[in-house]
Amino acid sequence: MVFSSATFLFVFLPAVLLLYFVPFFRKDRQKEFTKKNIVLCLSSLVFYAWGEPVYIVLMLLSIFYNYNAGIDLESHEDEPKTRRRIFVCAIIFNLFVLGFFKYSGFVVENLNSLFSLGIKYEPLALPIGISFYTFQVMSYIIDIYRGDCKTQHSLLNFATYISMFPQLIAGPIVQYNDVEKYLSYREHNVRKFAAGSLFFIRGLGKKVIFANTIGAVYTQICSDGVSSLSAVNAWFAILCYTLQIYFDFSGYSDMAVGLGKMFGFDLVHNFNFPYCAVSIKDFWSRWHISLSSWFRDYVYIPLGGNRKGTARTIFNIAVVWTLTGLWHGASWNFVAWGAFYGLLLVSEKYIFKNLHEKLPRFVRRVITMLIVIIGWVFFSSETLSDAGEFLRAMFGANGFASDNTAYLLLNNMFPFAVMSLSALGFFKKLPTLRNVPLRLAFQAAGYIAVFLLCIVFIVSSTYNPFLYFRF
Amino acid sequence: MRDSSVRKNEKQNKKLRVTAVCAVTSAVFVLIVFGVLALAVATPDREKSESENRVLKQFPAITLSSVFDGSFMKSFETYFNDQFPLRDKLIAFKSGFERMLGKTQENGVYIGKDNFLFEEPARVDSKKLAELTGAVAKFSQSNKRLKKAFILSPNASDILPDKLPEALKIPDRSEAFSAVKKALSSYSWIDCKTIFEKQKDKDALFYRTDHHWTTRAAYLAFKNLAAQWGLGARDKNYSFYTVSDSFRGTLSSTAAVNDGADKIEICVPKKQEGKFTVLYEASGRKTATFFEKDKLLQKNQYEVFLGGNYDKVIISTAAETTASLLVFKDSYANCLLPMLTPYFSKIVVIDPRYFSDSLKGVMAETQFTHVLFLYNMNTFLGDTSLAAALAS
Repeated sequence: MVFSSATFLFVFLPAVLLLYFVPFFRKDRQKEFTKKNIVLCLSSLVFYAWGEPVYIVLMLLSIFYNYNAGIDLESHEDEPKTRRRIFVCAIIFNLFVLGFFKYSGFVVENLNSLFSLGIKYEPLALPIGISFYTFQVMSYIIDIYRGDCKTQHSLLNFATYISMFPQLIAGPIVQYNDVEKYLSYREHNVRKFAAGSLFFIRGLGKKVIFANTIGAVYTQICSDGVSSLSAVNAWFAILCYTLQIYFDFSGYSDMAVGLGKMFGFDLVHNFNFPYCAVSIKDFWSRWHISLSSWFRDYVYIPLGGNRKGTARTIFNIAVVWTLTGLWHGASWNFVAWGAFYGLLLVSEKYIFKNLHEKLPRFVRRVITMLIVIIGWVFFSSETLSDAGEFLRAMFGANGFASDNTAYLLLNNMFPFAVMSLSALGFFKKLPTLRNVPLRLAFQAAGYIAVFLLCIVFIVSSTYNPFLYFRF
Repeated sequence: MRDSSVRKNEKQNKKLRVTAVCAVTSAVFVLIVFGVLALAVATPDREKSESENRVLKQFPAITLSSVFDGSFMKSFETYFNDQFPLRDKLIAFKSGFERMLGKTQENGVYIGKDNFLFEEPARVDSKKLAELTGAVAKFSQSNKRLKKAFILSPNASDILPDKLPEALKIPDRSEAFSAVKKALSSYSWIDCKTIFEKQKDKDALFYRTDHHWTTRAAYLAFKNLAAQWGLGARDKNYSFYTVSDSFRGTLSSTAAVNDGADKIEICVPKKQEGKFTVLYEASGRKTATFFEKDKLLQKNQYEVFLGGNYDKVIISTAAETTASLLVFKDSYANCLLPMLTPYFSKIVVIDPRYFSDSLKGVMAETQFTHVLFLYNMNTFLGDTSLAAALAS
C-alpha cells in the first residue's frame, strides 16, 4: 500500500486511527499502551502484506532472527569471542537476505558477461522496503554489539520498531537509538497529532500534486527516446526529473514523519532544502539525511573516518560512496552515480577547497545544482550508455531545440515555475501577514485546500476511460 | 519584570493560536478522512460509468487464495477507486483545474481553440508507408480489370492547424499525402486534403469532440468519387438528417473534457431506405438499415453508423446494375457507405483489422467491378493489417 492511495487514506488510516486512539483499557494505562503497540504492529504487518503477501514471511523471519540475536548478544556479555561470532553471523544473515533479493541478479549478470558463463536465474520481485528495514535492523545489532544501546526484551516492541508502517516503505531510516525511548513510553496529545497531520498533508501534496505532475512531463518528453532529444528538451526533462525526485522522496518522508507524530513518534527529518546547498558536502547533509547518517555512523566512522591520514580518508570515502550508490539500486549506473559523488567530495575536500571558499555564495549554489542535475542523469537512466546518450543530448548532439520545444515549455511553464520556487525555498522567505489571526486562518484554509486537491488528484489518476480509439 | 511577563504572555498567546490553527486543520483532516469513508459506505455502488464508458469494479470476493496471492487487495483498490464518491465530478474538476493553469494537453489529446479537440497526429515513417502503399499498388496489378479508387482522409490537425493550441507545431504531412498519391497512380485518387482545404466552413468537417470526420466531409469525398467513377450522383438525390446533438466522442472521453457537444448527421440517398439488406457475416445478423438507433443512447454515438466495426459486412441492394463493390476501410467509411447503395447491387465491406478470412475466397465468390480503399491518415500510418489482408 502507498500513502498516496485512496485505500490508504480512507480505509486503512481511519481504521487504524480508530483502533489506536479509542481506549480499550480506560483505567490501566500500561495495558492501554501495550494495546497501542499491538495495533501499530499488526496494522503495519497488514500494511506490508497488502502489497506483498508472500514477503511478509521474510520480514517476520528477519524480526525473529534479529530479536534473538539481540538477546544472545546480551546473555554472552562476558564472552567477547562468542559475542563476536553472534554479531558476525547476524550481519552476514542480514546482508545475505538483502543481497539475495536485491543483488543476486546483478551479480549473476556480471559473472556471466565477465567469464562468459551461462548461469540462469529467475529475476525476483524486490521485497518492498527491504533496503530500509534491513538497514534499521542492522543499526540495532551494531548498536548492541558496541554497547551503545540496550537489548529490546519485548518482541512486540521490537516488531513494532522494524515493521512500523509510517517509515516502512521509503524511510526515513530510523536508527534504533532514536526511537528506543518511544517504544516503551510515548506521549499522545492534540498538539503532536495536529503537527503530524500538517506534516502529512504537506508531504501528500508534494507527492501527489507536485511530483506526479512534473514526473508525467519528464516521462512524456522522454517517451520518444533519448536519441532524438534536443538540448533544450533534454535540459527541461532532467530539470523536471530533478523536481520530481525531490518532491516524491521528500514528500514521502514528510508523510512518514507526519504519521509518526500522529502516533507519538518523533522521527528524524530526512530533507532540508537540498537544492539550496552551497557544496556537495552540504547537499548530502540536506538530502536523504537518514541514509547519509547511517553510512557515517556505521561505515565511515568505524573505518576510521578522517582520523587516519589522507590516503585512508580517501579510501573510506570511496567505500562509503560505492556502497551508497549500490544501495540505491543493483546496476552499474548507480555505482557510477555513487562514485561520481565520492570523487566530487574528495576533490571538494582536497583540491578545490580554497577556490571554493572564495567564490560568492550564489555561484557556489549554481555549481552545486549543476553537479546534482548531472548526477540525476545517471540516476534516471537505465544503463550507463543511456546516461551517456542523455548527456550528449544535453550538450547539443541532437540540435538545440525541436519543433515541440516552445509548446512544451509554454504548456508546463506554470507548474514548473511554482515547483522550482518551492524547491529553492522561495516561499519560505516571503514576508508573512502581520495580522496573526488572519495569517493563521489562511494557513488552515490552505492546508485543507491542499488536502482536498490531493483527493482530486488521487481520484483523477485512476481515470480510465474505455477507449474505442482508432477503431 | 513587567516587561518580561508581558512578553511571556505574548509568547503564550502566540503558541495558543498556533495550536488553534493546528487543531482546526487536523480536526478537519480527521473529519474528511472519516467522512469520505462514511460517504463511500453510504453511496450505493454503481454498475457502470457513463463518462468512462466501462463497467465499474464491484466488491471482490474474499477467498484464502485471493488474499494470499494478493489479487484480492489489487481488486479491492480498483473497486474502491472505481466506486469513489463523486468520482466523475472530481475528475472533471481536475481537468478544468489544469486548463485553468494553462495546460492544453490531457492524456495525449490536445485541447485547441474553441474547445476543438485533436488527437496526436501519427508520425510519418516513410519506409513503413512505402511498404504499405507498395502492397496496395501490388493488389492493383493483379486486379487490372477492376475500377479502383483510394480515399485518404486527412485528420483534423491537418486541415485546422489554426485551431491547434498556442505554440503547438505539428509536422506537415503534405509530403506523405503526395507520396501515397504517387505510389498509387493506378487508383482514382480522391484528393480529400485539397478538397477540404478549399472548403469555407472547415470547422464542419470534423467533430470537435471525436477523432472522426463528419458526414458532411464524407459526402464531399463521396461526390468526388462519384464524379471520377462516373456514377452520376446528384445533390438533390441526397438528404441529410440530424440524429443527435449530444455527441461527446472519444477525444472528449480521453481528455475528460466535457464542454460542448457535437451533432451527428446522417446522409441517405432519397428513395433508397428499405431497399437493401445489411448482413453482418460473423454473427449472421441481418438488418434493413445502416443506422443502429440504440447506439445513440450510449456514450460512443458514432457507432450509430453500422453499429461499430466488423470483419466483413455484406450489403445487398435492389439497384438495377451488375456493378459490385469491394471496400477496404477503417471506421471513417461507416458514415459514407449508405451513399453508395444506389450504384451497386452488392457491396462487401472488409475491415482488415478484424478480417482473418481469405481474400481470394471473397473475390472468387463475387465478380467485383469496383474496389474502394477508405482510410484516414492516422489509421493508415499506423496500419499493421491491410497488407496481410490483401495477400490472404
